[in-house]
Amino acid sequence: MTRHSDPTQVQLTADGRLKHFLTTEGLSKALLTEILDLADSFISTQERAVKKVPLLRGKTVVNLFFENSTRTRSTFELAAKRLSADILNLDIARSATSKGETLMDTLWNLEAMYSDMFVVRHADSGAAHFIAEQVTPGVAIINAGDGRHAHPTQAMLDMLTIRRHKGSIEGKTVAIVGDILHSRVARSQIHALKTLGAKEIRVIGPATLVPKEMTDLGASIHYDMTRGLKDADVVIMLRLQKERMSDALLPSESEYFKLYGLTEEKLKLAKDDAIVMHPGPINRGVEIDSAVADGEQSVILNQVSYGIAVRMAVMAMAMSGQASEQAKQKAGDNA
Amino acid sequence: MSTLTLTHAQLLDPSQELNQLSDVVIENGLITAITAAGQSSSEHDEFNTKNALLIPALIDLSAQVSNVACETLAAAKGGISILCAQPSSKSFIDTPAGVSLIQQASAAASNSQLLPLGALTQALSGDQLANMHSLKQAGCIALSNARAPIKNALVLRRIMEYAATHDILIMLTAEDVDLSANGKMHEGPTANRLGLTGIAEVAETASLAQQLLLIELTGCRAHFSQLSCGRSVEMIRNAQAQGLAVSADVAIANLMFTDVDVNGFDSTFNVQPPLRSEDDRKALLAGVNDGTLAICSNHQPKDIAAKKAPFAAAESGMSIIDSWLSMMLTLVKNKELELRALIHASSILPARILGLTQGVQVGQKANLVVVDQAAEVCYQEETLLSSGKNSPVLGIDLVGEVKLTIAEGREIYRV
Repeated sequence: MTRHSDPTQVQLTADGRLKHFLTTEGLSKALLTEILDLADSFISTQERAVKKVPLLRGKTVVNLFFENSTRTRSTFELAAKRLSADILNLDIARSATSKGETLMDTLWNLEAMYSDMFVVRHADSGAAHFIAEQVTPGVAIINAGDGRHAHPTQAMLDMLTIRRHKGSIEGKTVAIVGDILHSRVARSQIHALKTLGAKEIRVIGPATLVPKEMTDLGASIHYDMTRGLKDADVVIMLRLQKERMSDALLPSESEYFKLYGLTEEKLKLAKDDAIVMHPGPINRGVEIDSAVADGEQSVILNQVSYGIAVRMAVMAMAMSGQASEQAKQKAGDNA
Repeated sequence: MSTLTLTHAQLLDPSQELNQLSDVVIENGLITAITAAGQSSSEHDEFNTKNALLIPALIDLSAQVSNVACETLAAAKGGISILCAQPSSKSFIDTPAGVSLIQQASAAASNSQLLPLGALTQALSGDQLANMHSLKQAGCIALSNARAPIKNALVLRRIMEYAATHDILIMLTAEDVDLSANGKMHEGPTANRLGLTGIAEVAETASLAQQLLLIELTGCRAHFSQLSCGRSVEMIRNAQAQGLAVSADVAIANLMFTDVDVNGFDSTFNVQPPLRSEDDRKALLAGVNDGTLAICSNHQPKDIAAKKAPFAAAESGMSIIDSWLSMMLTLVKNKELELRALIHASSILPARILGLTQGVQVGQKANLVVVDQAAEVCYQEETLLSSGKNSPVLGIDLVGEVKLTIAEGREIYRV
């Protein structure tokens, strides 16, 4: 007794091209690889003196952040500028919706400004999906994080990081450590890792922060860091929010660090050439020791620079998918 | 003197073990004769049912009604003779004056009868008892706090003791709001995948266990509204076997849908209690089929803006009243629900719980519905009579079209 459309397909055109980027779930290996390949090519343009490419010239991109974020928003802004788009930053967290305007009203007002793309971050899971279903055809939605659901551009920049530093994702053992329950990053990573052929995805943390249903997504659960890190190729540490203690999910930061914080000693359990990643911003001494964060195996800062290239790639692909769909629509209308 | 003869009806009334092709004669609202089909004289107004099903009219134990005229009209077309109006945070009755307002509005609308359920606690606060006896005297058939929590177990005990003193039927829900805090849907694989906060089964079962123990202690008559877990059905069966005066119902949505239906973040499926697993759905169906559970609509009409938001930000609730009977008949067609269980659960048992007489019997006032159980129906926003267009079955093929509804001897709907 169902009537819903497949949520993972809302982001695709009829011929399977990306037209929004909402989640890594349900995207084919070919499509994920296309994103990575395109991002790779943008990394080389970024190393040039003139960094701009004209793929989004004349387009207006609106950064619609209902939650505060400095880094993600800045990398989206840079990505849009390097694609030659006009960019408008709206800090909704402090403006319209706090005056009682609904999400729908905000959207319609922005559409009236003839925007071509919204980059959306929102505290509610499914918000980007909801907006994608409501906007005028032709407008692309890029999910910059919705609740606990998805953060697909972060996941793809992590995939790019793994691919560039480990050669490929196929056959790799990846350990994701920390607050899995609240992590949209972990969910998006797991979907992408699975599709891209990782050998094993382990999620590590206490039962209060690791839902047992993670096994349904294809991850194995470890409560013990020693076993979880053993022979891992990639160790991804997640940020621990302070409010987890007041929510009675954890007793204290110090006990957490003792059990799940990444130290040089614990990192030795992973493969010798394992890389350490973190979506940032890091809490030194809470989930990761400074010596590890700044150590040789850490690729945390590389992740940030790859972020711009990955965002350029999905923005360009979604805009092009929208354009081809609109062209087909027009041809159909004229026929 | 008005006489109406319903001819060639498949009369089905499990309360009297009736299942026969019959003619039913109604004079001045009273059933005066039930004969084998084709044997009644037809000199009066005749309604040829053409072998349609004739069953006792439905009684809905749980619906929210903001616009009385609108919702009772939808109910009349849906084969419902009586609607129990659950309080809501926006509209609750905690004074006798409020009771008579609803009664007047219901009489003025002249469709399905609306029975007001008074509040158990003042302004549904959960901490101070409403004037329970006065509300009963004023005509409240039962008292309910809807889904507003009564967190303090001592207050709950006092409510039950006071209800037992005055033989007041109380309607309760089972939800530990600390355990379900911020929850938006059933805790399970779908909630985890979508990143929505889950409501664990134990939020219902722990609360139910505590309340059953208090009912045992106080000896009150209690009805649990909208149970959602398979485990809860088992607990109700055990309590009944133990001799407690408890009954329970399940919302039709929980018999038809599961948490998997939330997949597309469709806010229509944001409902309390949440849609649970397929195992729960099956156990709830079994509870209806064996006569343990009643079925309610849990109708909650919402305006468009309330639902046009991301899943977690949308208001919970579904608009059901138009399609309640069709949804149940579709479960019958799918062989998940037995037809006699449907009638028992949506008419006979609710009447028994409320202390009303129900049944198609000579000498009784007519409370019946004629429904073509094979007719295909497909609801669209425009065809819903309810003010709420937040129906989960828009565009879905269902079966069962009501041809005639008679409540308290009064014809309130004819196709």
